[in-house]
Amino acid sequence: MHTTEPIVTGASVLGIQCVDGVVLGCDTLASYGSLARFQRVRRIVQPGADWVLGGGGEYSDLQEVARLLETMVTREYCQEDGVVRAPRAVHRYLARVMYQRRSRLDPLFNSLVLAGRGRFLGVVDMYGTAFESHVVATGFGSLLALPLLRKAWRPDMRMEEGAACVEHCLRVLFYRDCRALSSVQLARVPAEGAIEVSEPYELGELQWHVAQTVA
Amino acid sequence: MDALAPHHDPTVPVQLGTTIMAVSYAGGVVMAADSRTSTGVYVANRVSNKITRVAPHIYCCRSGSAADTQAISDYVRRYVHELSLELNREVNVSVAASLFRELCYRNKDRLTAGIICAGWDAQHGGQVYTITLGGSKLQQPFSIGGSGSAYIYGFCDAAYRPDMTRAECIDFCVKAVSLAMSRDGSSGGVIRLVCVDRDGVERQLVAGDAVPRAWQG
Amino acid sequence: MAGVGSGYDLSTTTFSPEGRVFQLEYANKAVELSGTVVGVVCRDAVVLAVENVLPHRFVVSGTLRRVHTVDRHVAIAVGGMGPDGRHLVARARSEAENYRAVYGEAIPARVLADRVAGYAHLYSLYWHVRPFGCTAVIGAWDAVVGAVLYAVEPDGSVYKYRAYAHGKGRTAVRTELDKVRWAERERAEAMREVAGVVERSRDVVKDKPYELEMVVVGERGVERIDRFTAAESGGERSGGGDD
Repeated sequence: MHTTEPIVTGASVLGIQCVDGVVLGCDTLASYGSLARFQRVRRIVQPGADWVLGGGGEYSDLQEVARLLETMVTREYCQEDGVVRAPRAVHRYLARVMYQRRSRLDPLFNSLVLAGRGRFLGVVDMYGTAFESHVVATGFGSLLALPLLRKAWRPDMRMEEGAACVEHCLRVLFYRDCRALSSVQLARVPAEGAIEVSEPYELGELQWHVAQTVA
Repeated sequence: MDALAPHHDPTVPVQLGTTIMAVSYAGGVVMAADSRTSTGVYVANRVSNKITRVAPHIYCCRSGSAADTQAISDYVRRYVHELSLELNREVNVSVAASLFRELCYRNKDRLTAGIICAGWDAQHGGQVYTITLGGSKLQQPFSIGGSGSAYIYGFCDAAYRPDMTRAECIDFCVKAVSLAMSRDGSSGGVIRLVCVDRDGVERQLVAGDAVPRAWQG
Repeated sequence: MAGVGSGYDLSTTTFSPEGRVFQLEYANKAVELSGTVVGVVCRDAVVLAVENVLPHRFVVSGTLRRVHTVDRHVAIAVGGMGPDGRHLVARARSEAENYRAVYGEAIPARVLADRVAGYAHLYSLYWHVRPFGCTAVIGAWDAVVGAVLYAVEPDGSVYKYRAYAHGKGRTAVRTELDKVRWAERERAEAMREVAGVVERSRDVVKDKPYELEMVVVGERGVERIDRFTAAESGGERSGGGDD
């Protein structure tokens, strides 16, 4: 048996679907218990040209998933027939991998979010549960950020608004999640055109003036 | 009697309750470790060497179970040596780190090993990789590990600078490890240092009575 | 038994009294008789080209490949029997993938070449297998040494080359390759010249129609060049559909 409890862990991943693409966001922390052990870690990876993967949970398992996908993409590259798996196919593949591992009682301890061209946004959890949604949040974010994302979401939302909305949620998570950090990474996945994964950067516009109202 | 029991009980593993660290700078790396190996509260070895050679220019700092980390580094040393023969050149530091990762990840349920793999290679210069308990591999400018590291995160975060020279790195390591040794009951003894750069390897030792002492109280 | 090998050519497990293994020489013959395969190392890339002879005029161009991608930084051009080459390529791919999985970095070209050669050599040792009727021309971009070219022969020997040619037009092509300082050429120049060299090596009257398959391996990875259709380089046929 493999991971029975996660050791080095990442927290929430958020995603939102907009008219012109999808925005994905998460912080860059890998915790060791309550210790903020690795503070500039990439939890969004882009093995292929058409999609990105964001992940939380056990970091070594996330690296394993990333390796798996990189191998898959390299095989596609070698095939040279121009055929690559669409985001929806990759999502389904991940769901099969996760479900098979949990069935072997050897799960990969991750929550994964896949965002791809053609406004694809889907989640897979460590049991292989998989679904698509217009707003997505894993980990603590599913409690704190999901209601905020749902409230902010509009069918005609553009990616700039989506990114601002995700940043807002990451700010809230930084305030209220003990395992969150203010250093974050955002991925912009336009329906057409090149995907953009940001370098880790500090969240701005943090508000602490509320502290002055407390006697 | 209970306090002594672990010493006689073969099921209690020999642990490296430890302070280890590695720092990279332009041109090389500096590694440091305390020298205490314990079984329970008994100091099984007060002058142990936790910085192990993997290749002429790659070393690893070991923490966790002494048996596990010795076995793992023995394997990696062998694999790295085999590969260097096949390549007809020295292997890169990241390759050794990947081998550590592979062994730690594939056997995570059977191992207690926290390893810092560091060294110098012609392609990428001085590098530090942390292999965590679960078997993730993370490159960092510097890394600290072992039970003693918990006490010096604040110091290291404040004192580390990315533009340090070799001498400054050594000074940084000695300060950090001595602070950990003074507060962590499982760390102690002497400070062993290994410096790797283009010109090769240099080992240094700070004897137990020469370890700097900070505020105590 | 009064044939060429006088009974010593039925298996790779028996030497002839002159110290030859005829089956390996016949395997090499398969390469000599098939379309020309060329590789050159220029300044910033390796150019691989194959004179891909079309077996029949009904064949849709672009369907049979002789240059295969092995990894992000490696391609193999096959001279000789295409299907044998495909099997060797499959082995090369799994070696490359395995190396990445264990060591976390790309397989160095020399290691890959040695491993492919070792594999090919195994097929020259046992009575129940037949040697590969092909040469694998390995072009790669190596992180340490840059553009490199190796060729693995049916007997399992492997050499590193500055330029390589085998197949039907080898004599003419080798003579032409010798006239150029390839290491000083840029990739675009080298590509054009290699295409010309292959075209000029052909007998316009006797030779069957062909398409020139060309792949360039550089720092950016493996790139297939579709520009040189048979028509452009002076052949009789133009490219068809790609379905």
